[in-house]
Amino acid sequence: MIFTFKHWFPTSAVLALLVAMQSAAHAQDIEAGRAKAQACAACHGPGGNSENGLYPTLAGQTWRYLYIQLKDFKEGRRNDPVMSAMAQPLSRQDMIDIANYYAAQPLKPTDFKADETKVRLGKAKTDETLCTMCHLEKFAGQNETPRVAGQRFEYIVKQLKDFKARVRTNEGGSMIPVARTLSEADIENVAHYIASLR
Amino acid sequence: MSTFKTSRRFSMMVLALCALIGVAQAEEIQGQKGMSGGPNTITKAPNVSQSQLNAAGGQKANWLHTNGDYGQTRFYPGTQINTGNVKKLRPEFTFQTEVRESMETAPIVVDGVMYMTTSYNHVYALDAVTGREFWHYKHKMGPITTFCCGPNNRGVAIEGGKLFMGTLDAKLVALDAKTGKLLWETEIADPEKGYSETMAPTVIDGKVLIGTNGGEYGIRGFVKAFNAADGKLLWTFHTIPEKGHEGVWAVNDATGRNMHRDIAAEKAALARDSSFYQTLGGGVWMNPAVDTKTRTIFFVVGNPSPDLYGAERPGDNLYTDAMVAVDLDKGTYKWHFQYIAHDVWDLDAVSPPILLDAKDKSGKMVPAVMHGGKTGHVYVHRRDNGELIRFSEAMIPQENMWVLPTAQGARMLPGANGGVEWSPMAYHPKHRLAYALNLHQPMTYHVEASKYPGGKLWLGGAFKVIEGEKQWGRLAAVNVDTGKMAWKFDTEQPLIGGALATAGDLVFYGEGNGLFRALHAKTGKLLWEYNCGAGANAMPVAYSVKGREYVAMGCGGNTQLDFKRGNSMVVFALAKD
Repeated sequence: MIFTFKHWFPTSAVLALLVAMQSAAHAQDIEAGRAKAQACAACHGPGGNSENGLYPTLAGQTWRYLYIQLKDFKEGRRNDPVMSAMAQPLSRQDMIDIANYYAAQPLKPTDFKADETKVRLGKAKTDETLCTMCHLEKFAGQNETPRVAGQRFEYIVKQLKDFKARVRTNEGGSMIPVARTLSEADIENVAHYIASLR
Repeated sequence: MSTFKTSRRFSMMVLALCALIGVAQAEEIQGQKGMSGGPNTITKAPNVSQSQLNAAGGQKANWLHTNGDYGQTRFYPGTQINTGNVKKLRPEFTFQTEVRESMETAPIVVDGVMYMTTSYNHVYALDAVTGREFWHYKHKMGPITTFCCGPNNRGVAIEGGKLFMGTLDAKLVALDAKTGKLLWETEIADPEKGYSETMAPTVIDGKVLIGTNGGEYGIRGFVKAFNAADGKLLWTFHTIPEKGHEGVWAVNDATGRNMHRDIAAEKAALARDSSFYQTLGGGVWMNPAVDTKTRTIFFVVGNPSPDLYGAERPGDNLYTDAMVAVDLDKGTYKWHFQYIAHDVWDLDAVSPPILLDAKDKSGKMVPAVMHGGKTGHVYVHRRDNGELIRFSEAMIPQENMWVLPTAQGARMLPGANGGVEWSPMAYHPKHRLAYALNLHQPMTYHVEASKYPGGKLWLGGAFKVIEGEKQWGRLAAVNVDTGKMAWKFDTEQPLIGGALATAGDLVFYGEGNGLFRALHAKTGKLLWEYNCGAGANAMPVAYSVKGREYVAMGCGGNTQLDFKRGNSMVVFALAKD
């Protein structure tokens, strides 16, 4: 049984409620996660605000996405020489705690200088590709779908290219067909647009 | 036309990942404050006996099962509201819940008390005559919920003084029907793996029967029976058998059309790996019908996982897309009949089976069981062995069946929502007619190779609505003895929600634009309508209190088809002179 609704956005009020209730529910996890996340800061930056485009910013990410990615690294559905090893010793609770910690950290603006023309073209492409049907308006993310607004430019480019080349395959068959329709220039433009979102 | 009209282009529409995280909230019971007139609590504790549940279909006072009776006919024997006076039907009250989200509930009504549910597993107890709230229960949702098609709930079941509800975080809860107090709670399955509950349970002889959602997440489906007294698991029937799920390598579907399988390749793939039964899907979305004489339950099983990509799940994928008969007391297999083997279109079996007597091929009346398919056919089976007696003419346009999905997208009708979705049909025994809510949504089917993603949405491709092609709905009245449509009533929007037939010769159903309508059961003539302000996509019910008949319909819209959301239960009765 399935669904093919076209544009389903929770209202911002509902989202705010969800966020508020989620954070309340996980207050304890956040403190536990802070302690467990110390090793992550070397690459992902203080409070999960990455200072290097090789590594994603984790601050403000949805907790469910972070948790699922850690689990996928641990269980081999997603592969990265560093992250696969880092995730190995983590228990389920560790992953939940770390995910909740980063989800609760404020996302800080990067020093990325967006190209106005590329931002415009990128936005048009994301409209056409219906990205926000899952990622929600302005790429705020929801549940298992990541927030990508304000993510590091180089990291966005790398993920889209990895999906396109089927190097990253842990998305259940949704991002690969999307990325396959994007040209190199599209990816560049889309990344300019998304990286510039706040 | 419909709400589907949009300025956005669907060049590359991948189906929305729409698992909403459950709102973590404290379980709470609230009484209504500040309203006068009558007691604020239920004065007499409900106590629904098994004999009442067995005889539910033959009486007019209570609506005791989601689909009216164990046969799931959704037929109400009252005649007070009828073709002659339905034009005088007026809203008696509107009850507004605090949850403005997709509403699919069928209220249960006992001795003038209505029990209804909302998205996110709220339960309300109301005075069924005045709309006064007695209590309000909010399920304490766990942190992880995984579900594809909206945070829906389709209602409670009742036995004795207990209500039973399945939850989005895959729990079963029992509530005190008088107070709304939680009596026990048990885990049905692990929500992190994609299990969730939206269906109403069915209760019989102290057993609470419930299936599971999750065919879009690589679950292994089941129907489970729990002890109504304490929530202990009594038996589990897996809808995916560990051995034998490859079936008979069927070439054709139930209607004899070739499904274009590469069976040699599938056999080779099965020889390499047959361990995928753990993630083969097979959700059960709607209530089973119960034959109390033969102690048999009948339910239909949903699609295999992943929906569109079949290469790594070779075989017929039993018992997906099938009707299955199981022993009520032991949970053991009796028979199955598969409509589509190795489905790669998600045209699965969802609408709940209905028990009836129907003419067999030789014209003799036999106990039968029928199902309205997403394919657009109503299938009528012998109840004793599952043999297909007949399938109806196509209720909606079919085209290109069964073209295989491609990377670029292959056009085929019906689209992946059907035909008949989860929408329960109603059955009028005198007219021999089944009433089915159909959708017409032209789509292209796209396939994408994809490994099990670990509890994430797993379609293995995409369904895309075709830009510019009109979508619409059809309520079809199908003669169960001939398979021919007696009449059809076309609607502006695709139809989703329940049908209700009455001895007053009326068929009630709702539309996404808010119209709740009554048609003449024999002719399909539109006799009455009322716009309730949000999508009328729940399941209508009827009951009577002190001799006065009522019809109730939830109007909260629908996530799956993005119909306008609301939060109302609207109850109708004939205007008093």
